[in-house]
Amino acid sequence: MFQIISAIVLRRLLLAIPTLLLLSLVVFVVLRMLPVDPLAMLLPASATAADAAALRQQLGFDKPIPQQFLIWLWKAVNGNLGSSINFRQPVVQLMLAAVPATLELTLTGLLLALVISVPGGVLAFVLHQRRHEAAADLIVALMQSIPSFLWSLLLILAFGVFWPVLPFSGRVGDGVTLPDITGFALVDLLLVGRFEAWLSAVSHLLLPALALALGFAPLVIRVLRSSLIDAANEPYVEVARLRGLSETRILWRHMLKNASLPTITMIGVQFGFLFGGALLVEMIFGFPGVGNLMVQAVKGNDLPLIQGIALIFCVLMLVITVIVDVLYAVLNPRLRTL
Amino acid sequence: MTATALTTPPAPRGERFPVTRATLRQLALQRRVWVGGGILLVILLLAVFAPWVAPHDPLEQDLLHMLTPPMWAAGGSGEFPLGTDGLGRCVLSRAIYGARVALTVAIEAALGSMLLGSTLALLGGYFGGLVDRAISYLVDLWMSFPPVVLSLILLVGLGTGVDKVILAVVLVDWTRFCRVIRADVLVIRRRDYVLAARLIGFTHLRTMLREVLPAVVPLMITLFSIEMGVAIIVEATLSFIGLSVPPEITTWGQMLADARNDMQSAAWVMLTPVLCIIVTVLGCNLFGDGVRVALDPRLRLRGE
Repeated sequence: MFQIISAIVLRRLLLAIPTLLLLSLVVFVVLRMLPVDPLAMLLPASATAADAAALRQQLGFDKPIPQQFLIWLWKAVNGNLGSSINFRQPVVQLMLAAVPATLELTLTGLLLALVISVPGGVLAFVLHQRRHEAAADLIVALMQSIPSFLWSLLLILAFGVFWPVLPFSGRVGDGVTLPDITGFALVDLLLVGRFEAWLSAVSHLLLPALALALGFAPLVIRVLRSSLIDAANEPYVEVARLRGLSETRILWRHMLKNASLPTITMIGVQFGFLFGGALLVEMIFGFPGVGNLMVQAVKGNDLPLIQGIALIFCVLMLVITVIVDVLYAVLNPRLRTL
Repeated sequence: MTATALTTPPAPRGERFPVTRATLRQLALQRRVWVGGGILLVILLLAVFAPWVAPHDPLEQDLLHMLTPPMWAAGGSGEFPLGTDGLGRCVLSRAIYGARVALTVAIEAALGSMLLGSTLALLGGYFGGLVDRAISYLVDLWMSFPPVVLSLILLVGLGTGVDKVILAVVLVDWTRFCRVIRADVLVIRRRDYVLAARLIGFTHLRTMLREVLPAVVPLMITLFSIEMGVAIIVEATLSFIGLSVPPEITTWGQMLADARNDMQSAAWVMLTPVLCIIVTVLGCNLFGDGVRVALDPRLRLRGE
């Protein structure tokens, strides 16, 4: 088992190197097509052309693009992603603070999405078997038409304005400082035993995570439903029925287990959807994650920061792919004997 | 097989061309096609005839009537059926004009990504080998990036404007078409009638366009329709962030961004563009789903 897992991880990592290189190059070239001068914001209004040239030289923007890329790459390999132009802080430092926040949000969102979509998918399947699928179809189609960022606005209207029960700005309440251990607020606050602050963090996480979950759930529901429909025609279902197992048991213990494989694949492929959704959700909820940082970087033409965030997103996506591959191997007995 | 058999066309016209009377009947039986198509038609008409339908100019500020509630609520007036926003602009008129940008982006971006994605899919799936490997690698490379992040980066490089948004969507979303259609082309190019077309001396180009392409057209229509919904959401997202269009063009995303300031006191200003986006995207999704089920006998048999 361990051997298979390490083989998968190794193969994925080897494949990841050219991918990361190429993607960084694409992003680098695209960003250098910029129609406006990213340095304009750094200079005071009284700056002369000579000042601008000096700054360009200092930041390395005067060199040809291939050379700039190699310099960036060499530094990146050594763990230096440069400094943000607007925040005047090293990009790596900004990332270290933002990545755990985004992961906390997306993973909670994924968890909530599963809590919604596993029963939802089963229900959609049961309705389909009983020929009552029209209503279920319409609800799924409707849910699929509401992206996470609209859910965010609707949830804020519902639970922040009309029935103000939940906070909808920031990661914790005002005046609460976060301990810096793992960067995951929910973990850190439990570790230091500050339960009141923990509850505050949970309540702040609830609406953004729910918005993310509601945007993602219909995708899972659809895959789960159609995998269950496929599973219903498999011989093992008939065998289980002949053995006298109840329909409920067949559905939940046998068919669902088999339907989980395509679902996991889909979640892996669509994880970018979660990250993309988190971008806007973080911005709307003022949640200090990578997405929020990205929006600010894009608005301010902060090239080093954008480049760094692009790299982080690629790395995160690759890690997700590895995890999905490993999970798949663990869950699918057919892949265990390679 | 005799020589005469080889010189006859590979398949009778009616079978080869996807839109026959039977498929049209299948389409008409799908309620989703009617509902989705109906929604899209209404919104298209509103967008095209916006200057005649909208009660006001979308940019006209009436500072004496800021945040007027909708006409059915207390304090509302018939002059502003859906009320006004924080600058005294008519919400209904802005919503109607916003449909113009939304549908322009939806149609052009979906068309562009369909052309780019399907062309590459046809080339890769038909020729296989190195061409296919290169195209598939490109798709994988593109998909190892969250789509929204990629379009943001592209917009930084391209600059803002409706045409730039369309280009960004095309450059990001062609993979959706390419991946799915390539898989189908791989199956179709092994069919006997494709082989027959080659045997009677069709060129590669003619075989691709006359024999392979028609077989993937239903799939392309479905993906096109769903992509329209995706493009609407992307445009709304980008103009919500403030990256899509200059302020003198009205979009739904911009209305959302403006409405956030007055969310506490005037929820209707926000609900209108939210509902516009949801209903339009729903129309696209229903239409696409309906076409998919109507044109795919396997799905019909499953009772979808």
